[in-house]
Amino acid sequence: MTEIGIHIEGLSKRYGEGDSAVDALKDVNIRVAPGEVVGLIGPSGSGKSTLLKCLGAVIEPTAGRMTLGRDVIFDGAWKIADLRALRRDSIGFIFQAPYLIPFLDVTDNVALLPMLAGQANAKARARALELLGALDVGHRAKAQPSQLSGGEQQRVAIARALANQPPVILADEPTAPLDSERALGVMRILNQMAQQFRTAIIVVTHDEKIIPTFKRIYHIRDGRTYEEAGQGLTL
Amino acid sequence: MKFKIPSSKVTSLVLLGVLLITAVVFVVMRAGPLAPVRVTLAQATEGTLTPALYGIGTVEARRSYFVGPTAAGRVLRVLVDVGDTVKAGQLLAEMDPVDMDNRLTALDASVARAASMIAAADAQTADAAARKELAAISARRYLDLAQQNFVSSGAVEAKVQEQTSADAGARAAQANLSAAGQDLSRLKAERAALVQQRQNVRLLATQDGVVVARDAEPGTTVVAGQSVLKLVDPTSLWVRVRFDQGRSAGLAPGLAARIVLRSNPATALAGKVIRVEMQGDSVTEERVAQVAFDVLPAGMSMGELTEVTLNLPETPRTLVLPNAAIKRLDSEVGVWVMAADGLKFVALRLGQSSLDGRVQVLGGLQAGEQVVVYSEKDVGAKSRIEVVSSLAGAAPKPTQAQAKP
Amino acid sequence: MISLAGRDILHSWSKFVFTGIGLGLLIGVTLTMAGVYRGMVDDARALLTNSRADLYVVQKDTQGPYAEASSLRDDIQRSVLGMPGVARAANVTYLTMQVRRASTEVRAMVVGVEEPGQPGAPAYLIEGRHITRNHYEAVADVKTGFVVGDRIQIRRHTYDVVGVTQRMVSSGGDPMVFIPLADAQEAQFLKDNDAIYNDRARTAANPAFNRPGVPGLLEAVQASQSSNHNVNAVLVQIQPGWDAEQVAEPLRRWKHLQAFTRMQMEDILVAKLIATSAKQIGMFLVILAIVSAAIVAFIIYTMTLGKLREIAVLKLIGTRDRTIAGMILQQAMGLGLIGFIVGKVAATIWSPVFPKFVLLEVGDTVIGFFLVMVICALASTLAIRVALRVDPAAAIG
Repeated sequence: MTEIGIHIEGLSKRYGEGDSAVDALKDVNIRVAPGEVVGLIGPSGSGKSTLLKCLGAVIEPTAGRMTLGRDVIFDGAWKIADLRALRRDSIGFIFQAPYLIPFLDVTDNVALLPMLAGQANAKARARALELLGALDVGHRAKAQPSQLSGGEQQRVAIARALANQPPVILADEPTAPLDSERALGVMRILNQMAQQFRTAIIVVTHDEKIIPTFKRIYHIRDGRTYEEAGQGLTL
Repeated sequence: MKFKIPSSKVTSLVLLGVLLITAVVFVVMRAGPLAPVRVTLAQATEGTLTPALYGIGTVEARRSYFVGPTAAGRVLRVLVDVGDTVKAGQLLAEMDPVDMDNRLTALDASVARAASMIAAADAQTADAAARKELAAISARRYLDLAQQNFVSSGAVEAKVQEQTSADAGARAAQANLSAAGQDLSRLKAERAALVQQRQNVRLLATQDGVVVARDAEPGTTVVAGQSVLKLVDPTSLWVRVRFDQGRSAGLAPGLAARIVLRSNPATALAGKVIRVEMQGDSVTEERVAQVAFDVLPAGMSMGELTEVTLNLPETPRTLVLPNAAIKRLDSEVGVWVMAADGLKFVALRLGQSSLDGRVQVLGGLQAGEQVVVYSEKDVGAKSRIEVVSSLAGAAPKPTQAQAKP
Repeated sequence: MISLAGRDILHSWSKFVFTGIGLGLLIGVTLTMAGVYRGMVDDARALLTNSRADLYVVQKDTQGPYAEASSLRDDIQRSVLGMPGVARAANVTYLTMQVRRASTEVRAMVVGVEEPGQPGAPAYLIEGRHITRNHYEAVADVKTGFVVGDRIQIRRHTYDVVGVTQRMVSSGGDPMVFIPLADAQEAQFLKDNDAIYNDRARTAANPAFNRPGVPGLLEAVQASQSSNHNVNAVLVQIQPGWDAEQVAEPLRRWKHLQAFTRMQMEDILVAKLIATSAKQIGMFLVILAIVSAAIVAFIIYTMTLGKLREIAVLKLIGTRDRTIAGMILQQAMGLGLIGFIVGKVAATIWSPVFPKFVLLEVGDTVIGFFLVMVICALASTLAIRVALRVDPAAAIG
């Protein structure tokens, strides 16, 4: 567990050069404490995806500073050599769709990351079962992803994101396909997990149903972020 | 290693894989380099053999006669045809006498002329004798007269000379007569010779027989010695049989024979070996024997092929093996014996063999020993073998690499 | 770590198995073609081994009797027998022809041999007995379909089949039928009756042979025309302790003979007789290998394309490129393994029924296996390239 969570300062991303250059991100500043769940709201084209990609260490920002957990991962240039290991160990991803690996069963889907990180198979599976239980899908541990309902799949995806105990989770529209009850349920779980595992979670969303649940919200417009206090509705 | 809880899908797939691999291993063991050579065994048992000699023969006539002229000439007429039975002395054909008849007439005339010449000479002889007589009387008379000196000595000499001349004349006439007589004889002899030649123009059968070939038609010119007709004595048909030199041990006159004609393969005729020829055939490496029929079958053709089998006397009881078991290793002949630790090659002394494929074993083997008879391939001392009861019909084609024996 | 490739295969097993079967049949055909080539070489070797000869004496300047026609007088055998180092010498004739039994015809190589036990005659039987009569008996190879007791027709004569043997084939794979040498010489030379009549008429029309003043000349000439004293080769077995070359050299110095040792004959048969077929088969093998590679590449590529999103997700959540590439490679090689097993089993099953002799050697199987694995590995590179180019960012948004 770490103290800092996510700290982004002055991040910018420019695509292209010269006259055809596009500044997708101009000046992004975000701070998320461990155990906090913040929302990131913005219209399409505002640079949300670009920001997620930068945070997820899949594209290289042009300038700025990013700190994940204890480590400064970017400061004008990447400070970490193995970005993939960083993603594997330090960042959990929750996508719009569950994106479970169809040829692995539920348990292995969740256990995959710890196994990739070098854990023994039995230990990884035990951890997976634990998480699945915590997320209330333990009874589907042996099923194939195709046999699960949408909500169950989403919960497995959340378990996968948590499997390696990353300090950071990036969630991209996790509630988009869900109805309000399920959506709030997901948010409830996220908050629970954040508290339990002291994870810093950024949720990119424009789902009206869940926006009221955030205590803090960042708006992003034209590549810049603006902080706002949220309603912090109790779940 | 992962520890899986087997699902039915995995189990069935693994089972399928195991099945496939088992199938492959099975086939490899059955017909591959690890597969044993299948053989059949037989026991060496005691028995007797009836060896036999086998040869192909041709039906021929013991005696055949070519009838033809002794001088070149043209065939005038042929009176018999192929297949006719003829008797001895029968006129078969005639050559064209050509000018012989005319020459006979000429000779007749000559003979007559010679007889006339004799008559003339005879007359001359009489005449000369008369003259001689007269001359002798005259000479005597003159001699008498000369003694009485009535005539001159010249006259007496003349008369004596006349007498001498008349004597000579008489002798000459006598000689002429002899000559004419000899001439007649000569001409008569010539005529007799021509008559004989004229006889030769008639071709007669020398024996009873059957005509088998008519080689010249009327009008054909033939030379002396060329045959016009071929005759054969049909009771003298026999079979000239050829035997492989290497497989003719025991061939002797007197052996009983079974003759099978090609035209009648179902029937076997009885016969006997009449003669074994001293002159064999070194090119074809065969010996020749003549086999006569006990009862001559009707309707046989000469030149027909026959199969002749001569049975030799039965051999005494010895060990007998099928000839399929006999093998050659280097320069030795023997069999592969089934011993406790594998196959062993045992050299054998072999005796006679029968036509049905069994061979006498004179030495080298005990009764009851098992020998390899049939095998899928050549076996050797190191071959792995599998004994089966029969190889026929069930032999699979080997598909894997062969074992090197 | 679990095997991603294994899980994927199990998950879409039907696609794998069916593709594997298809690929397997292709590999089976490839193995069979290689087996046909080995079979041809083995046919040639069997031919030479079964003739049991150390030396082959043939007509000078020919490479007979198997690769080329060769004609010798049959009395040369006696001279050869007298040469130093010769233990046994036997005349032999070979002629490929149709052999009839009842209403069926079989293409066979009719071999004229001297006695059983001499070189050229079959060394072993699987049924019946060796020939005992000097005419009109035959021993046939089992591939002719004849059994003991059959009456077969070769040219003008009918022969009794008295024995059956196995694996006696010509270099072209035709089964052999052994008959006595004299019968074979007649079969090879003597034509049908019409031709014989024509020949006799032609001889009779020739005034050089048909002289009226010489009775018997025409018959003598016609008789000499209708006999054959030629053979194709003399097979020689040398005495133990002698070298084949040592015995062959004096034979070659004769003006009209050529002598080949077993090694030289093998070289002639394999290198020259089979060379064209070897090239054809080699081409086939290359084409089949390319087709197999293409199939594997296509299948794996298609499967990878269907997994692009999963690959992006895997890459994003931290899976190494190496692991993903390994997954694809293992899938390709797994496909190859299934295909190879199916192919090997199929080839083993259908080989006995193949019209030509197919010899599946263990060495070929092993080489084939490695080649299949290599080809699959190479074929997977196309899909691996695609997979590696996937941008993990594609999973986000």
